[in-house]
Amino acid sequence: MRRTVDVDATILSSRVIARGTTELALAVPRNAAPRPGQFLHIRAPGEFLRRPISASGYDEETGAARIIVRDAGRGSRAISGLGAGDRVRLLTPLGRGFPMESIIRDIASGKKIWLAGGGIGAAPLLFAASSVRAADLAIDSFVGFRDEESVIGVRELGECGSVSVSVGGLVTDAMTRAMESAVPDSILACGPVPMLRAIQKICAGRGIRGFMSVEERMGCGVGACLVCVCRTGTGDGWEHRRVCRDGPVFGISEVAL
Amino acid sequence: MRTKLCGVELKNPLIAASGTFGFGREYDELYDISCWGAISVKGLTLRPRRGNPPGRIAETASGMLNSVGLQNPGVDAFIRDELPWLAAKGIPVIANVAGSSEEEYAEAVRRLSDSPVAMIELNISCPNVRQGGVSFGTSPERVYGITRLVRACTGLPLMVKLTPNVSDIAEAATAAEDAGADAVSLINTIIGMAIDTGTRRPVLANVTGGLSGPAIKPVALRMVWQAARAVSIPVVGMGGITTADDAVQFMIAGACAVMIGTANITDPMSGPRIIDDFRRYLEGEGISDPGALVGSLRTDEADARREVFENRKSDVL
Ligand SMILES: Cc1cc2nc3c(=O)[nH]c(=O)nc-3n(C[C@H](O)[C@H](O)[C@H](O)COP(=O)(O)OP(=O)(O)OC[C@H]3O[C@@H](n4cnc5c(N)ncnc54)[C@H](O)[C@@H]3O)c2cc1C
Ligand SMILES: Cc1cc2nc3c(=O)[nH]c(=O)nc-3n(C[C@H](O)[C@H](O)[C@H](O)COP(=O)(O)O)c2cc1C
Ligand code: FES
Repeated sequence: MRRTVDVDATILSSRVIARGTTELALAVPRNAAPRPGQFLHIRAPGEFLRRPISASGYDEETGAARIIVRDAGRGSRAISGLGAGDRVRLLTPLGRGFPMESIIRDIASGKKIWLAGGGIGAAPLLFAASSVRAADLAIDSFVGFRDEESVIGVRELGECGSVSVSVGGLVTDAMTRAMESAVPDSILACGPVPMLRAIQKICAGRGIRGFMSVEERMGCGVGACLVCVCRTGTGDGWEHRRVCRDGPVFGISEVAL
Repeated sequence: MRTKLCGVELKNPLIAASGTFGFGREYDELYDISCWGAISVKGLTLRPRRGNPPGRIAETASGMLNSVGLQNPGVDAFIRDELPWLAAKGIPVIANVAGSSEEEYAEAVRRLSDSPVAMIELNISCPNVRQGGVSFGTSPERVYGITRLVRACTGLPLMVKLTPNVSDIAEAATAAEDAGADAVSLINTIIGMAIDTGTRRPVLANVTGGLSGPAIKPVALRMVWQAARAVSIPVVGMGGITTADDAVQFMIAGACAVMIGTANITDPMSGPRIIDDFRRYLEGEGISDPGALVGSLRTDEADARREVFENRKSDVL
């Protein structure tokens, strides 16, 4: 049975893939393999709290989960500094990911779905893209990066469908331009808050559905401490829901960012 | 390892601390939570509360600040949706209760008194709510007042959870005892703050929050020791306990049982690990009743008292 475990995972490989950005492969138990949109809660050496990092892939053959870590501070630097053979304590898998089965069904039935990623937000989308590809289907992506040195994932995304890369510009500009010829049925998004807000607006204006992965500072990562909430719903019925357990993937219009 | 707290049987003196363990469901997916001596659930209020806006957590040196602000589904939903499952685990459930007015405390405790909870933990020490919470715990008069009121509303064992944000913890503990509390638990979090230099904004949306974890352990240990000397009701100690050795220290200082909070957050397997290590410690020391540890602190003062006592005994003989 697939379940969440707290394990010492061995780093299988580590490689710098862009400026301040490292890709690591970690051995995780097969029954605890993450799915697209799920995350690992990693005890960075020397840090008190764990760090949530999305899975950016999983290799069935080797049992390796892949993560891409951008150096944002002490904890992320400690994780990206780990090398092959090192061990690190982590919880896997955590959270509600993208509903890949229904997404794949939709694509198979001819619906158009786009991936939209900003910066390190491309990481979980790589996993979504590769699982679409594993079903012998294609998915188109729009990704944006601050500069050339920060670009990640373009080759992998290119193997799964067409890719539009914006460097220095806004992903959402590229998306609105593309919408002049074809509007998608839904969008899977991950990235900085301003980008997600812009996507919410585009989706609301055109009746596009979809999902996005959101970030919040975390404690336990499992849903018990209630520190990681985001605001969902509207009017009097709004709620504080846990990003670690009820998310990190929410309906695109669900979260008030 | 068995022990008794206010007449309630515990299979061991280690209790999951309120607010760090939810209602137990999440951790039960990782291990069987019935290994705990008891579980103190997330702070409950009469009506549902959404709590404070995020960010609610900041990392500090050897600790963390939180400003959750008592987000909870309310006592009725707890009794209906969470308690049947949790009570079926076969370990005592401690209902941690908070409120913003005396009437709210009283009504929440009344409703819980007809439910299968084993004990009430009166939370008059939450630093993260604008009304009520810690303000009920900051003066001995108010501690006495609210304890007295709630005492009259329930036949369940009543434990009062004290705040460290006072100048004299012994006074607060004595006030709770005088008002009829069956036990006191301490400490709740210490009010603190963190600033992001980049943005010059507080890290917590609520500006201030409660500090917990190993950073507060020495303060907690000192306060437990002071409280235990001041009262004759049981003292339940907590604050930064991360290992069995930490737990033993609190018991030596005078705690009859201990609670483990933030350690669950940093290491989800803390419960079973500390309980196992505690069992091994007792075996190693040849102790079967953990009560033997309680208040066994050796100070020069205690040694001198013991000496006088021994001498008197030999005089008599
Ligand atoms: C569900 C989820 C998935 C994520 N996936 C990735 C990923 O695939 N790759 C990646 O590089 N980063 C990812 N992040 C962000 C990553 O968790 C933070 O960059 C990291 O925690 C920063 O820690 P630090 O010590 O380096 O930085 P500091 O700023 O020093 O951290 C201080 C504290 O704030 C917290 N914090 C700071 N920024 C964030 C943030 N953006 N989100 C959550 N907590 C934060 C830290 O955990 C730490 O407790 C993800 C975050 C979430 C919530
Ligand atoms: C995230 C969080 C939420 C908490 N919520 C509550 C609560 O609802 N009621 C309460 O009495 N104490 C609450 N506490 C305080 C703990 O129960 C405990 O008193 C304190 O954290 C010190 O112990 P520790 O260092 O082992 O965590 C909370 C603590 C944390 C970290
Ligand atoms: S991090 Fe503890 S509930 Fe989400």
